[in-house]
Amino acid sequence: MPRKKTKREASGRAVATIVVMRLYIANDAPNSRRAVANLEAICKEHLKDRFKLEIIDVLETPLRALADGILVTPSLTKVSPSPAAKIVGNLSEKSSVLHALGIEIEQPVE
Amino acid sequence: MKSNLRALDSNPPRPNAGFGFEGRILRLVKSVPERRAIESGQVDAVIDPTTGKAFLLPDAQQALREDQARVRGLLALSSDWFWEQDEHYRFVSHTGTASGSSGIYDESIIGKTLRDPPFDSMGESDWQAHQRLLEWRGTFRDLELRCTDRAGVMHWVSISGEPTFDQQDQFTGYRGTVRDITLRKQSEALAQISREKLAERTRAEQRVERNPGNGAARGIVSRKNSAERRRQERPLGKVAKGNPIANRLLAALPRKDYKSLLAGLEPVTLTYGEVLSEPGEPITHVYFPNDCVVSLLTTVEDHHALEVGLVGREGMVGISLVLGMGVSSVRALVQGTGTAMRMSAARFRKEFRENLPLQGELYRFIHAKLAQARQIAACNRFHGVEARLARSLLMTRDRVRSDQFLLTHAFLAEMLGVRRVGVSLAAGALQKRKLISYTRGKIRILDRKGLEAASCGCYEVVKDL
Repeated sequence: MPRKKTKREASGRAVATIVVMRLYIANDAPNSRRAVANLEAICKEHLKDRFKLEIIDVLETPLRALADGILVTPSLTKVSPSPAAKIVGNLSEKSSVLHALGIEIEQPVE
Repeated sequence: MKSNLRALDSNPPRPNAGFGFEGRILRLVKSVPERRAIESGQVDAVIDPTTGKAFLLPDAQQALREDQARVRGLLALSSDWFWEQDEHYRFVSHTGTASGSSGIYDESIIGKTLRDPPFDSMGESDWQAHQRLLEWRGTFRDLELRCTDRAGVMHWVSISGEPTFDQQDQFTGYRGTVRDITLRKQSEALAQISREKLAERTRAEQRVERNPGNGAARGIVSRKNSAERRRQERPLGKVAKGNPIANRLLAALPRKDYKSLLAGLEPVTLTYGEVLSEPGEPITHVYFPNDCVVSLLTTVEDHHALEVGLVGREGMVGISLVLGMGVSSVRALVQGTGTAMRMSAARFRKEFRENLPLQGELYRFIHAKLAQARQIAACNRFHGVEARLARSLLMTRDRVRSDQFLLTHAFLAEMLGVRRVGVSLAAGALQKRKLISYTRGKIRILDRKGLEAASCGCYEVVKDL
């Protein structure tokens, strides 16, 4: 018999380690703004307070981004835990963001 | 942009992918995920490693430009000028958006601080307090300063500002907005003056009331001549205590507007048969009836008169003044003895000019009076004496607020524009139907509902006017 999980149970396995991320954006440009909003929503839902996020404006510090190997914004990198990962775009595809951040979601048991 | 880059992903990265903007991007961005993101319009900026600078893609540029325009538009709505200061709080730039700002805030301001002219209201202690806030890099809001423009005209401005920092978090100065608040300051000053004047007058009135031995001072406006003296003055206290504002028009005014009127109002008793104004004669006073009734009559060939309106506690006698005429167009005849508040024509003109709520109430009243006169005019032409008599008695009753009042045959004949015989017949008919009793000028309404039924439809129309 299919058993429905509660929202709390379905929201993914607890990640014990702290996820360190960097989000590269271009000022208030639309995709950058969207990326920040999308990432904040994902972190709130799946990481609670177990994350560290640094937001870097490439219009102000382009060299910093270049040094990190970033060419386009918005881009999100996961610094730790390894493996490092990078995702480009406004982060509207939640599943690929979760995948890049190494967050697994348990599928409801059929 | 999107359409131009649509085919990017299908082609393998080429070392030299052409010229122009797209070509530049293709040269810089070679990895598939990044190209895919560009193609789907999810990228705002690309960093050029050769120059070490980031550049915005056209869509993002456009969006940022629109954002800036929106912010500028909102700023312009809330302020008249923007300014920037250096780290020594000296103005380094200004942008005006308001017209007529020349002379207050222009090139001459560059290099000056808020302490320097044209600003002239910042005292030493104020300046030190402000400077302390600046040293702490605090944001200040609505700092109100006086300044004098080049023509020597004084202005008041409200200044707000916030600190600015460079990329290394070094303090670079302040920037902010200025609003011209001269008008607001002026109206505040005027309001303050009138408040003080009112307080002064109230104190003076209280002094008079505390000293009742001085009988002449009790009525605020002293009587002027013996002809007016025969109007028995009713003590102000009685009117004020029993029924503070019996006149509906005065009662509808906001308390403070009524109070400012009160100083010019004088309580009087009007007796039955008294004529307050004659057609063609200048109006000396306006009257706000409390419980008396004044009939407005239009005269024809001097001896014939017809009632065209009735004024009681709902209104004022002397509306020609409101319409800018100092001469009465009707005969105002007191029909029911009672009290009223009166005001001299000169004082009324002044009060009417200054008292906006009074203007509103009077305009409403005049409109009602006009509608009433029109209805009565039609009624006089089309309806029988009996029905008109019933209508007239009901209108009087509403204003006297009593079922019993005095009206002579002669008076009724005048009101209705018929011979006395006609009045006798009509009154007799109503009396026979036990709607009224009528003996020697005393009228008593016995059956109001029945009288309403006997009256013409005009009563229903003018009842609420």
